[in-house]
Amino acid sequence: MTTGSVGTRADHDRRHSAPVKSGQAIPLVPTAILLVGAVYCLIPVLWVVVASTKGPDELFTTFTLAPSFTGGFWDNITDLLAYRDGKFWRWVANTVLYAGVGTVLSVVISALAGYSLAKFRFRGREMVFRLILAGVLIPQITLAIPQYLLLSKVDLVGTYWSVLLPSLISPFGIYLCRIFATAAIPDDMLAAGRVDGAGEYRLFWHVGLPPMLPGLVTVFLLQFIAIWNNFLLPFIMLSDDDYYPLTVGLYALLNQGTSQPVLYTLVVAGSLLSIVPLIVLFLLLQRYWRLDVLSGGLKA
Amino acid sequence: MRCTSMLKALSASMVLAMAAAACSSGGGTPDSGDEGGTGGGLRSYGDPNAPAELEFWAWATNIEQVVDIWNRQHPDQQVEVNSQAQGDELVTRLLTAAKAGNAPCLMQTEYQALPVLVSNGVAADVTAAAETVRGEFSDSAWGLTSFSDQTFAIPQDVAPMMLYYREDLFEQMGLEVPQTWDEYADLAAEVRRKAPDRFLTTFSSNDPGWFAGLSQQAGANWWSTDGEQWSVDIDDEATEQVASYWGRLVNSGVVDGQPMYTPQWNRAMSDGTLLTWPSAVWGAAVLEGVAPTTKGKWAVAPLPGWTEGEDVSGYWGGSATAVSEDCEDKAQALKFATWLNTSPEAVRGLITTSGVYPAATDGQTSTALDSPPAMMPNQTGFYDLASEAARSARTFTWGPNVNVTYSVYSDAFQQAIQGGADFTSAVAAMQDRTVADLEEQGFSVSQE
Amino acid sequence: MRTVQRDSADRAQAARPARRRRPQARTAPYVFLFPAAVFFVAFLLLPILYALWLSFRDERVRGAGIVSVREEVFVGLSNYASSLSDSELWASLGRMLVYGVLVVPTMLGLALLFALILDSPRVRMRSFGRLAIFLPYAVPGVIATLLWGFMYLPNVSPIRAAVEQVGLPPPDFFTPTTVFFSVANIAVWGGIGFNMIVLYTALRALPSELYDSARLDGCSERQIALRIKIPLLTPALVMTGIFSLIATLQVFNEPQTLSPLTNVISSTWMPLMKVYNDAFVTNEIYSAAATSVLLAVASLAISLGVLSFLQSRAFGEDR
Repeated sequence: MTTGSVGTRADHDRRHSAPVKSGQAIPLVPTAILLVGAVYCLIPVLWVVVASTKGPDELFTTFTLAPSFTGGFWDNITDLLAYRDGKFWRWVANTVLYAGVGTVLSVVISALAGYSLAKFRFRGREMVFRLILAGVLIPQITLAIPQYLLLSKVDLVGTYWSVLLPSLISPFGIYLCRIFATAAIPDDMLAAGRVDGAGEYRLFWHVGLPPMLPGLVTVFLLQFIAIWNNFLLPFIMLSDDDYYPLTVGLYALLNQGTSQPVLYTLVVAGSLLSIVPLIVLFLLLQRYWRLDVLSGGLKA
Repeated sequence: MRCTSMLKALSASMVLAMAAAACSSGGGTPDSGDEGGTGGGLRSYGDPNAPAELEFWAWATNIEQVVDIWNRQHPDQQVEVNSQAQGDELVTRLLTAAKAGNAPCLMQTEYQALPVLVSNGVAADVTAAAETVRGEFSDSAWGLTSFSDQTFAIPQDVAPMMLYYREDLFEQMGLEVPQTWDEYADLAAEVRRKAPDRFLTTFSSNDPGWFAGLSQQAGANWWSTDGEQWSVDIDDEATEQVASYWGRLVNSGVVDGQPMYTPQWNRAMSDGTLLTWPSAVWGAAVLEGVAPTTKGKWAVAPLPGWTEGEDVSGYWGGSATAVSEDCEDKAQALKFATWLNTSPEAVRGLITTSGVYPAATDGQTSTALDSPPAMMPNQTGFYDLASEAARSARTFTWGPNVNVTYSVYSDAFQQAIQGGADFTSAVAAMQDRTVADLEEQGFSVSQE
Repeated sequence: MRTVQRDSADRAQAARPARRRRPQARTAPYVFLFPAAVFFVAFLLLPILYALWLSFRDERVRGAGIVSVREEVFVGLSNYASSLSDSELWASLGRMLVYGVLVVPTMLGLALLFALILDSPRVRMRSFGRLAIFLPYAVPGVIATLLWGFMYLPNVSPIRAAVEQVGLPPPDFFTPTTVFFSVANIAVWGGIGFNMIVLYTALRALPSELYDSARLDGCSERQIALRIKIPLLTPALVMTGIFSLIATLQVFNEPQTLSPLTNVISSTWMPLMKVYNDAFVTNEIYSAAATSVLLAVASLAISLGVLSFLQSRAFGEDR
């Protein structure tokens, strides 16, 4: 599978999209299917938005999808941000730390491993592959307590490390990187590089990494969200709510015990705020999917 | 000063308790309340005045504000609160933390979770220290943290059960507040007749504590121990009576079978689909979050009794402050724990900032409880009713595997409601599984 | 600097007969794998081994009464025996099968469909569609029970309200049969975005020259999709398929979300719910470990079986 510089996809699409033949105008059926899918996915998300506009006396008494315009939204946001002197900001900062640092390191580790599994033939490769697959088979629920006990032996429990370190290994990330490496990096360029005498690490940096970039962006996005929304690991590791990420913090808000009214609206508002950075990240990163790295242009 | 000299002069533990009561009710100054607790009992654990840094896992809202009072007065004995989420998982986290040697010195634990912690060696025996404040609590409350003459925590709040009802709808529909469960059953049928889309209440398969409280009221005693063996009697007469009563009501459709604390239940409580709620003293606070539009529409009555004129209740929930076995500063921790739950300023703080209903008898008559809860401004005698219910509420001994029993409760009653079966079958399932689990753990269970 | 030195050394080496592999080429694969290996051992392998060790043990009480001494003892296979003889576990496995049949094809099929549509030229509203389908994956689990309670429970559900408006009988999402669809719906809704993004990225990596000749010949987009794109996507499809399979075998979040809302889902409705119940509610970590190991072995067998069957298609040129 060679990728020459015959032209970008944008060029091709432009050249071949005109003149518009009959039946090749805006494809109605695919667009309609896409719209139906979008609506299906959006309705529950819409609920989150609508519910965060409601005050406590409206959440359970008004029609579910009807937003409220009586200022409930700003009340909820301000109450949330004021809760316990701004605990929410602390949780946001923690989440950014866990997800930001954790994802960057995790993607580096996954990219290296995926590249190795894709582009080298070495003894034991398939066994390593299967071993990593086996790592997914024991669910986090079972691993949580052993991980806690093991980390406790090195006195790391309850620290930022206890949430950061276990997030760095992502079998799915390694697999994705392997797939993207296999698909995007041409073997003959690697072979040519080796014939020229380039070292393996240099080859990786200059020849292997660039085509993997759109794939790595995907891995970054997916891993970032996974860590951002992770609940069980920080829940079991942390006991001081100064270290909580958003997920555990909002959960604690929901489960404050029976002596105080449950602040449903604050939790919904907090969840909405928690989704916003992920949307921003998605919008920022998606232009990488349009990148045709070999020609430097943009795909359609 | 007056306090300690009195304590030094007297020796009998009975009199100690009286003295402790005199100390803490005698004045509001920090010192007197403090020193009442530094009597002989604490010294057996160490030096209660030595510096310490204590970690406290609690979930009561804003409890840091109450703890701050202590921290200001005791600069070398700082207590750091780590807020937790309430629930089953917290007990597991405590057990896991204890296994790893990370258990906090102080923990807020629900009454039914306490034996689990005790039997896993996580909660320490605090009898010697607790004796000094024994008089602060009614027998009923004291029984919540003590078994076979040993005490394992200081009671913090109690939650006697009471009946909440929609006063406005009762008036509108011409209903009378029931005094007995028979009247309640008749009322349920009447409601269905008058308004087919409403229910008198719902039976929730998600809330085993609710059912336990009702069973307590009927006289049940699910676990007992003679120090050697455990006995399990979940299927005793009282519980079977409660189960078949509610089973009859649910299966005949006069009472709903939906779980509580769902959006559906919240709406039903808001729009009057549900007319009553057998709940506990904290019910008003819950209603504030669940159905704030019904402010002023609810009223509270004593829980209906099984016999005419009976005035007994049960408990649903409540928590205590325990000290962990691994704690190296037990004396100081106990000093704090007793202060938190018996000193006037701490109890007042608990009431006003954390919204708890104190277990300490004096706390229940505190001026902070003069006005009714925000949700029920019309019922000025709310807390009088509560303290009456607290005085006579029955409790029972909790066993070392309550979590198993509660888990079986949910599944068994879900099935019974879903299948329209007799609820006593669910109780039987609870009994069988609890006994089996105790035996499997290695406890010696008496076969009766 | 190291690379420059290496270059001249390599060039010298290249002059020699190339039969002996350069040391760097021999070690490079392992060096690349090293960071992953370290964290894998520390945070997956060791905990797994520990869980395995726990599965052969149990806690026994010595002494009587309230304060008793607990000790961990070796119990051999008795945890496994009690798991295997638990009829509830087998029932939950059956439910998992039904659930898997509902979820995996639907989720992957829809993810593939949307990825292909997004990759087609001239389809409108691509950015909007991409964002919309991705959003469910971003919703945090902490409000899931609240969210789906509002979606499904009779007196608050807008879906039921809409259906009633049209005049049809409203669906009951919580009967013992329909609850499977209710749970599956949550999984599909939440999982399409994730899988779609993976497949879409793989599609974007395919060079466009492949389609040009097809388009020149007058093939429709649909034919291109079916004949060219899907076959080329097979590695990505197989991997997302395997992982979806494993995710199904470990289904937990979706039924756990709905469990407090209804009487139809017990605490052991799915195998992993029983594991969670054991580990976090009834404090029977040993039983949880044993059940997890059993499930993991079954999952491993199934996954490896499927993978071997599809191996040639997944990574064909590497064989």
